[in-house]
Amino acid sequence: MTDRRRINGPVGATIPLVFEDVEDYEQVATKAARSRAPNAVRKMYLKTGVTPSASGSAYLEIETSGKGGVSGLKLSCTVYGPRSLPRSSPFSPHIILSTHVKYAPFATKQRRGYLRDPAERDLGSHLEAALRGAIIADRWPKSGVDIIVSIIEGDQDRETSKTQGDEAWDIMNALSGCITVASAALADAGIDCVDTVAGGVAALVRDTADSSPSIVVDPIPSEHEKILASCCVAYLPTRNEVTNLWYKGDLPASDMELYTKLVEKGIQASTNANRVLLECLGETVN
Amino acid sequence: MASSSSIALPGQLLGPASKFQPGPGTHIHQSNLYSSLLGVVHISQPAKAPGPTKRLTKITPAPAPAELPTVSVSRSGVSEKREVLPEVGNTVLCRVIRITPRQAVVAILICGDTVLHAEWQGLIRVQDVRATEKDKVKIYESFRPGDIVRAEVISLGDQANFYLSTARNELGVLLATSEAGNNMFPVNWKEYQDPETGVSEPRKVARPY
Repeated sequence: MTDRRRINGPVGATIPLVFEDVEDYEQVATKAARSRAPNAVRKMYLKTGVTPSASGSAYLEIETSGKGGVSGLKLSCTVYGPRSLPRSSPFSPHIILSTHVKYAPFATKQRRGYLRDPAERDLGSHLEAALRGAIIADRWPKSGVDIIVSIIEGDQDRETSKTQGDEAWDIMNALSGCITVASAALADAGIDCVDTVAGGVAALVRDTADSSPSIVVDPIPSEHEKILASCCVAYLPTRNEVTNLWYKGDLPASDMELYTKLVEKGIQASTNANRVLLECLGETVN
Repeated sequence: MASSSSIALPGQLLGPASKFQPGPGTHIHQSNLYSSLLGVVHISQPAKAPGPTKRLTKITPAPAPAELPTVSVSRSGVSEKREVLPEVGNTVLCRVIRITPRQAVVAILICGDTVLHAEWQGLIRVQDVRATEKDKVKIYESFRPGDIVRAEVISLGDQANFYLSTARNELGVLLATSEAGNNMFPVNWKEYQDPETGVSEPRKVARPY
């Protein structure tokens, strides 16, 4: 469906023009290899209480890979509620979560519309599944809570525009960020949780065309030749429970060990994010 | 092990369930107490029975769990925005929105000591207005739209409303406005009077505390 109410920008990628001599061009054109260790995650900034009008809110920023032209991930989450359900809804003995994930129109290379598209709905339902496992829902009968995540910057490399289907893999990083930031905002809003849930991503990547695939955590798609499969995990560290698991890509069905390894690495990334989360919540109180 | 007035994060271990009783803001998982909120830990000791205990002359159930201290996590001091849900037994202050012959619809404004941010709707049915002569109660002789009422929550109710009751002496209308638009004062258990026009209006009057 097209959005007829607003004046939309041009559809399609807008790439800055690169004029300049050959050296600069080549520098831009060559892909930067991953500079981190395979099991190192990027640095993260998290802060709660950024939106005064909301019941709870949080802001998450993940640094860029350090190379020009690559944007990091910037997320803002607001939580409204618990509040009474609309009159038309039936009786509910527990709290009703409604999650909305929305990319800002300028968050990605491909300009996003103002209406939610299927990918955003997908992110929303995954986020809801991840949070539902962490919330003690029956503490709040007859109430609802709205969790709104805005993706301000979508972790995309501006230069590798047409080379590969980046968007499919960027969505995993976005989801793991959404889970972490929503968890911080829920704790800020004072909604009962069994634990702090955080997201983590691991991926099976191939760096050159003839090398063997390897597993890395917190992948940036532009840093690798090809991403074969990716896995996003939402994990409760104290409970040692996974509340949401999302696989994407091609994995041989026979190799069970590969699946387990991906989940393990995802949990490792999520534990790292959780450390930042706990630190941030501790700062909120003081 | 949590000391009194320390900070807890969601999922933080507070102690074994054999040593503490769970209070608000905590939950039990695998016989351990965990925090479920971001807030300050409070440990309250149980009230000791005054004086020497009398020699038991009859067999009573063992009062074991009441002896334990209660551990709770509260949001006070962290954020003033903590929303509370009216619970059965709470005393609430509400404003009458509309009346029908069978019920009065109210908006709950204050629950206990907490001002609510969200809109919670309540219902005072005709049989819950007072404790005696229930069959003779008329809603329009008890409440009028705009009155401020002190009531008790008796049920979580249906999808939209909490069920409230004013069937006690200290419950009922606290503030009322006359048809002329003046604030009235209570003259007896059944009437409010307008100080300017002298006209009395029937209400279910709350006894001042």
